[in-house]
Amino acid sequence: MELLAAFGTVLQPEILVVVVLAAAYGLFVGAIPGLTATMGAALLVPITFFMDPIPAIGAIVAATSTAIFAGDIPGTLLRIPGTPASAAYTDEAYKMRQKGQAELALGINLVCSVFSGLVGVAILILAAPQIARFSLGFSSYEYFFLALLGLSCAVMVSTGPASKGVLSLCLGLLLSTVGIDIVMGIKRFTFGDTELIGGISIIPVLIGMFAITEILRHAAEPRILPPTPPLHILRSAGEVGRTVWKYKGGVVRSSLMGSVIGALPGAGADIAAWVAFALSKRFSRTPEKFGTGHPEGLVSASSANNAALSGAYVPALVFGIPGDTITAILIGVLLMKGITPGPMVFVMDAGLVNAIFAVFLLANLVMLPLGLLAIVTSRRLLSVPQGMLFPVILLFCVVGAFAANNTLFDVWVMLLMGLLAFVLEENDVPLAPLILALILGPLIEENFMQSIIKADGVLTTFVERPIAAVLAAVCGLVWAGVVVMSVTRIRNTSAGKTA
Amino acid sequence: MKFNDAILGAAVLALALAVYLASRGFPTLPGQPYGPGTFPILIAATMAATGVSLVIAGLGARTPALVIADRFRNRRALWRMAAVPAFVVAYILLSKPVGFPLVVPPLLGALLIVLGTRPWVAIVIALGTTAAFWVVFARFLLVPLPLGLLTDVIY
Repeated sequence: MELLAAFGTVLQPEILVVVVLAAAYGLFVGAIPGLTATMGAALLVPITFFMDPIPAIGAIVAATSTAIFAGDIPGTLLRIPGTPASAAYTDEAYKMRQKGQAELALGINLVCSVFSGLVGVAILILAAPQIARFSLGFSSYEYFFLALLGLSCAVMVSTGPASKGVLSLCLGLLLSTVGIDIVMGIKRFTFGDTELIGGISIIPVLIGMFAITEILRHAAEPRILPPTPPLHILRSAGEVGRTVWKYKGGVVRSSLMGSVIGALPGAGADIAAWVAFALSKRFSRTPEKFGTGHPEGLVSASSANNAALSGAYVPALVFGIPGDTITAILIGVLLMKGITPGPMVFVMDAGLVNAIFAVFLLANLVMLPLGLLAIVTSRRLLSVPQGMLFPVILLFCVVGAFAANNTLFDVWVMLLMGLLAFVLEENDVPLAPLILALILGPLIEENFMQSIIKADGVLTTFVERPIAAVLAAVCGLVWAGVVVMSVTRIRNTSAGKTA
Repeated sequence: MKFNDAILGAAVLALALAVYLASRGFPTLPGQPYGPGTFPILIAATMAATGVSLVIAGLGARTPALVIADRFRNRRALWRMAAVPAFVVAYILLSKPVGFPLVVPPLLGALLIVLGTRPWVAIVIALGTTAAFWVVFARFLLVPLPLGLLTDVIY
């Protein structure tokens, strides 16, 4: 009932307009290959800076969930996934287009995305307050291990060798230590620069890492998209309904599984889509049809990626620990608004939490009409000349980085981080651990320093409390997994060389 | 621009050493060995470990010191890429003295042309975008975008 009351506060013209505009923006960003959902969120942050907390959250949630769906549009029509989360089933969807079923494929994507997004939000609404209540008794030890677990998982699921994931993590942590330290208040790594005393702002780093890198890549290899056919989605509405109903088991299974995968720190929408696609093939009665333009895998995978997006907000809101880069950005926005996500928010400010839940539901609901519009106008959407688009985005990056603190210093930060991130990605160093570490760094350091001072340097005190011990053990398992995975990788490559 | 892992590892080791040397000098809490330097030193130690493992992996891999992907061998591609940081640096240096409304149209127009837009289209887009950005950011969101030379003209 409180949720209904929250809906009342959320259904204001101002918030509705923001959510609808953000959703339209998300569809545009997602549909254009090269613009990822993360980049869309990063570019939105400077604008949310000027909003109240609830519309700001609504804008990020609406833009990212629609972007994940819209990534399916170029995937189906051009075999180019609009965002990495669509990559798992791009081939299948493109094969459906070749069979003349583009409308069916996109209709399935839209319906499954909306449904699973709502399932994910429902799980968030049910689970988050329970977990928050449970975690009220957490002390600095538990928080330290929880944050460490988040970072460890980010390394484990990152692509490429583990050593490069750890390197990315360390760079992020190191950047987070710049500025006034939390223990004694002395200046660290500021090189005598007054701008650095306040630390490195997150907004220019996000824009640099996720937008400048894409612009550089585009500048090196401009892409000209072939024209796409006009789509008549309403004609195949009945068939979409029948197909989704036929595979309803897959929709439910993938929605639930996607939410759980999304809630795991480090694993996001793209991993959920791959896992759901593979599982749906294994459970299918007709696995031989996969790869020929068969809708079954599409139903599952496009459910899983949107569910994962909602699921990722569970650890983000309850512990302030991001599950992926998009939730990391949302946490950054919350922190800017003076809201520190954590269990206390659920106890102290139930109104705010319910309003956040309501805006999540709203953001997923507006996806249905706007998504239909995006499918119908996809031909125009994809014909925007990219050579014109990227310079305008670059100007937006510059102004956005400047606008948060009104300082040109942040524009330098954006540029340097963009160039650094570009070189890192060229060398197979994943960026997700870096950004998670930058945002989690202060939390980890604060809890670590509190813990070690309380424990008087005796490290065994860290695992004396039962929950802390369990979390520490899980961390240990994750690192064991990382080591095993890298050893197997090295063996495989050396075996490949001798063979 | 893919370096051999050994070179990457050596750079990481150097950074770790620099962080360690800088953090060693930080004060500690009275009566305790911990202080602002504790966390950076732990990071430096972890980085050193990854640096060593990268050096070992790089020396074993026998790949060249630097592999330049084909797309960067193309001189025109390099020019187009260089135009991106050039745009940002030019904006940083010129926006304050010259002003946003005067500096953005030529910069944006030039970048559009470099990235393959026809000149007259580029001019129209550059002017239109500048006006739109001014309205949204300076008027609507009250971001103090600099007027530069225009300050005297307007006021």
